Amino acid sequence: MPVFCWTSLAANLLIVAAFPVLTATLAMLLLDRYLGFHFFTIDGQGNAMMYVNLFWVWGHPEVYILVLPAFGIFSEVVSTFSGKPLFGYRSMVAATMVICVLSFVVWLHHFFTMGASANVNGFFGVMTMIIAVPTGVKVFNWLFTMYGGRIRFTVPILWSIGFMVTFVIGGMTGVLMAVPPADFQLHNSLFLIAHFHNVIIGGTVFGLMAGYNYWFPKAFGFKLDERWGRASFWCWLIGFYLAFMPLYALGLMGMTRRMQHYDVASWQPWLVAAAIGVIIILAGIVCQVIQLVVSIRGREQLKVNADPWNGRTLEWATASPPPAWNFAVLPQVTDLDALWNKKQRERTQAQPPKERKFEPIEMPKNSATGFITAFFAVVTGFALIWHIWWMAGVGAIGGFLTMLAFAFRDEEEVEVPAEQIARFEQANQAEIAV
Amino acid sequence: MNVAVAVDDEARYEAVPSASEAGPAAKRIVVGYGFWIFLLSDIVMFSAIFAAYAVLTHATAGGPGGGQLFSQRSVALETGCLLASSYTCGLMSLAIGSRRYAATYLMALITFVLGAAFLALEVREFAGMIAIGAGPQRSAFLSAFFTLVGCHGLHVTAGLVWLAVMMAQVAIKGFRATVERRLLCFSLFWHALDIVWVWLFTVVYLMGVLS
Repeated sequence: MPVFCWTSLAANLLIVAAFPVLTATLAMLLLDRYLGFHFFTIDGQGNAMMYVNLFWVWGHPEVYILVLPAFGIFSEVVSTFSGKPLFGYRSMVAATMVICVLSFVVWLHHFFTMGASANVNGFFGVMTMIIAVPTGVKVFNWLFTMYGGRIRFTVPILWSIGFMVTFVIGGMTGVLMAVPPADFQLHNSLFLIAHFHNVIIGGTVFGLMAGYNYWFPKAFGFKLDERWGRASFWCWLIGFYLAFMPLYALGLMGMTRRMQHYDVASWQPWLVAAAIGVIIILAGIVCQVIQLVVSIRGREQLKVNADPWNGRTLEWATASPPPAWNFAVLPQVTDLDALWNKKQRERTQAQPPKERKFEPIEMPKNSATGFITAFFAVVTGFALIWHIWWMAGVGAIGGFLTMLAFAFRDEEEVEVPAEQIARFEQANQAEIAV
Repeated sequence: MNVAVAVDDEARYEAVPSASEAGPAAKRIVVGYGFWIFLLSDIVMFSAIFAAYAVLTHATAGGPGGGQLFSQRSVALETGCLLASSYTCGLMSLAIGSRRYAATYLMALITFVLGAAFLALEVREFAGMIAIGAGPQRSAFLSAFFTLVGCHGLHVTAGLVWLAVMMAQVAIKGFRATVERRLLCFSLFWHALDIVWVWLFTVVYLMGVLS
């Protein structure tokens, strides 16, 4: 299983385990605000810090929900463009799963200043430092994957290298703040703001950019423009450092977050530098939009076949964009990097052409149920915000009736006939039989 | 590790395909597995409310505590209804397995009535408490109590609606595969509510009366 699949699996495990806590917390908050309950209020002996605790019991796993898929994207990109199998595949999977578990026992580091005992703070401080270890394992694995490889400097790998440098800096400032006495100084200062932007932009945003540039040709059948992609990357990278590194200094100088105004002259130069950085990031975003427009206009020249990057994993074996059924014949996988190994075998010795017999494929029928229930959910949410009770009732009943109608439909699946699959395969000879 | 096994006992090793080689699992298994994951997430949600209840259990703000409010007789009756309804739900699953319509409807009806009786007892308990000024607005403890027990009650209500819909589906569509899978999920749901109730009974009522 490719590492991206593993990290997505881990992220989804975290979603299933962490989001119900948010559901419960929001329900309690709703009851407090709408029906006068006393979960988090001062009167009635409620406990305001319980809200902060419950919120971060969900909130800390959530930051790993954000970053784990990005780790998977980097693993795919680094391995593809280094032309080497991923270094330490097993340790990568193990590190992902360790992060998955440990992310549930670090939440208190968001509020060491709450006043918990030294032992409690000590425990969460130590756990926070320990969770940095599997992340460090991953960084070394990516570096060793690149080591000795013939690296092709495409846009996705630029984002990945930018990530490795930026994320390591953000990770180290995070470990600094995991020390409770240090955190008492840095809590809610701009040092913290710099830290979490450093890991979320450097980790998740860069990861999504890498994945967007990497898989765009698979999804749409044409590549994104390289030159504008590079311009966007460099604007983002330079802009990011200019915008957020000054915040570390400002935090150490005592500036706190969410200030309405300030009158400290010595902060001014740093804040001006940060503002210039923001403008450069904006230029990066503009380049991104231009990249998309230019690529759509030039899509005929940028058209690609199934495997534009000389890829390693199975998604590059099917047409770009892939048909609804993904693979005409279910691939037989015996090793990692299944497509790569297949290509190597074909290069070294002529393989007898496999006879491909197409069979009809069963597909779930299209349904508008999700869209319609989402519409009714929006109606309910809107009505609850503005206290329009009859409308909230309409939304809830509408959603229920939609689900009911869905439950009573007779046919749930359609069969794609073998002839249609064969026709598609003839038109798109690109698919490599695995 | 498996290499050694394969060398020692190659023929047998080849003969028994591993789970992944056997191909995709049957839909019934996949649906049941997915529903188990949903149930686990539901239990995580209950855990968060249980935790809040544990934090707030002594935060009575000068109002009544559990010892003064809980009637053991009413709770015993509720527990009896719910556990008995799980038994009849099991009998319904057996009737579905042997395709007996009348037995299915009968057992579903008994399950429904027992569930409704449980809810009626709970509503009576709630109404009695609110009448003596011990509503959820009285103290943080009572907020947590009403939310925790009420959340379970809401689940039972949803279960009753689901059961009614499923009986309509059995009547209209008969025992086809989709209907059977949904009934399987329903019975998992109904038994999971029992598990949550056992925890509620212990943590809220037994421990509440003890303190």
